[in-house]
Amino acid sequence: MTETAHPTRLSRRWSSLPGIDINWKLVIPALVLAEIINRSMGTSTTTLLTEILIFALFATSLNLLMSFGHMVSFGHSAYFGLGAYGFTLGVVKAGLPVEAAVFLGPLVAALGGLVFGALCVRLTEIYFAMLTLACAQITYTVLFQWYDFTGGDTGITGFMAPRFGLSEQGFASLTLVVVTLSIFALWWIVRSPLGLSIRAAGQDRFRAEALGLTVRRVQLSAFVIAAFFAGIAGTLHAVLNGAAFPDYAGLSLTLDSLIMVVLGGLNSFSGGIWGAIVYKLLGAFVPSFIHEWELVLGIILLAIVLTMPKGFAGLIARLGLDRKGAK
Amino acid sequence: MDAILSARNIRKCYGSFVALKDISFDLPRGERHALIGPNGAGKSTFIACVAGQLPGVEGELLFKGHNITSLTPASLAKKGIGRTFQISRAFLGMTVMENIMAAVVISTGRWASLSRGLYRENLDKAFHLLETVALVERAADRVGDLSLGDRKRLEFGMALANDPDLLLLDEPTAGMSIKERHYLMEMVATRMEETNKTLLFVEHDIDVVMKIAQRVTVMARGAVLAAGTPGEIAANEEVQAIYLGGGH
Repeated sequence: MTETAHPTRLSRRWSSLPGIDINWKLVIPALVLAEIINRSMGTSTTTLLTEILIFALFATSLNLLMSFGHMVSFGHSAYFGLGAYGFTLGVVKAGLPVEAAVFLGPLVAALGGLVFGALCVRLTEIYFAMLTLACAQITYTVLFQWYDFTGGDTGITGFMAPRFGLSEQGFASLTLVVVTLSIFALWWIVRSPLGLSIRAAGQDRFRAEALGLTVRRVQLSAFVIAAFFAGIAGTLHAVLNGAAFPDYAGLSLTLDSLIMVVLGGLNSFSGGIWGAIVYKLLGAFVPSFIHEWELVLGIILLAIVLTMPKGFAGLIARLGLDRKGAK
Repeated sequence: MDAILSARNIRKCYGSFVALKDISFDLPRGERHALIGPNGAGKSTFIACVAGQLPGVEGELLFKGHNITSLTPASLAKKGIGRTFQISRAFLGMTVMENIMAAVVISTGRWASLSRGLYRENLDKAFHLLETVALVERAADRVGDLSLGDRKRLEFGMALANDPDLLLLDEPTAGMSIKERHYLMEMVATRMEETNKTLLFVEHDIDVVMKIAQRVTVMARGAVLAAGTPGEIAANEEVQAIYLGGGH
């Protein structure tokens, strides 16, 4: 047995999965920097930071499906919306205290993921994507039109003080903690045997089945997990605004999340995070200079897709900042 | 004879085209058995039927005496049937070690585990499989960067993770050099011999067949033309005329 072939060495080498590494020397200062920005800048910056964090989690949950499960969902906003409404209706209709209802939101989203996912994973590729879109549109329509229960197109407002009554800074700090823990949990899942199975099922379902994997069950697990974390993002967003609107489950939000993942970098765990940062910053600052900011966004997207097909995460990897121990 | 696999009147049609015409076939436990025949003979279709990949298969397939005709590939894998594919199928975006570990994790039935301790528990087994297929030094390489021969060996290693009683190899040496073909198939034969497992393989290289197989079934136009030892098949004039291209 050669030195490099020793099982322990192999264990260390193979556990460094490409695109799944965390460079703690980058992550920890970034978290500290986020908190410094939160505490030292004005209210609008703090609110922007909170939104970036929430959408970083939302995009990362979609990224689990797209980059690792190879399932392109056109309806991921449904679970963001179900999280927001699960929380809101828990307070308004079930009379739960807001502290308890925040746990209900993600669970409702996961239940939605279980029901819709069981339908969607029966199909593959574009048919899968179309079915996810149909499920999201059903969710949106119910939220939009069921006035007695969901408030219809006006949504549900005024049922609680936004941000649990916390200051903007206080809620941003809370969001930073929740989102960091949630993304860490997703990272843990991707590196676990479940994550390996999700990747196997995504990369070659026939090979995975021939090895004894029930692919649909694995895909459904991924779907429910992604829905649960999207539900956390939706719940945080509802708490931020003290309101829930049907647009939370709309097509526009799904497109936003898809753009974030592509912008940030497919096939990379951090793609959703980078995508949310870049997309939200562009949306916040470019309109100050040009009215037709979507045009600028389109041009930037085009440039990124053509010059950086692996997105910003690919750029970070090229700079060597994604690896453990990198400078 | 203790047959591990028995096919009874297996028939498979694609529309009006009959790909398999009432194939009946017994595969004794522990045998290395080759399926040969010209292109379109139905060899790969038969393997796909046994592997549970095709819908609408008529007849009866018995594995260890149990009817497996309508089982899914995943169920068949759990029952002890492993396979490789005609066109190499591995998880191309993963490393060699990840491929092997994925196969090992799936074989444990604990694919939903969130504990990386499962990797540590199975590291020795994964390492042993890598050694078996001589890919230890390439453990950290992406499968997409491997040569075809290495990929085929990797697939063989993955198929062994479940310790299958019956291994199905569909043209395992297609596209490989002569040296690679013999290297792979000798590796397979040694493993089957050591573990007393059964091998059913489709192969076009007659030299490989004659060297590895203990018995051979010749198929033509969806039916069994002849069956026997390699020597008997080589001497069969009908087989010579239709497939081996010789003739005395």
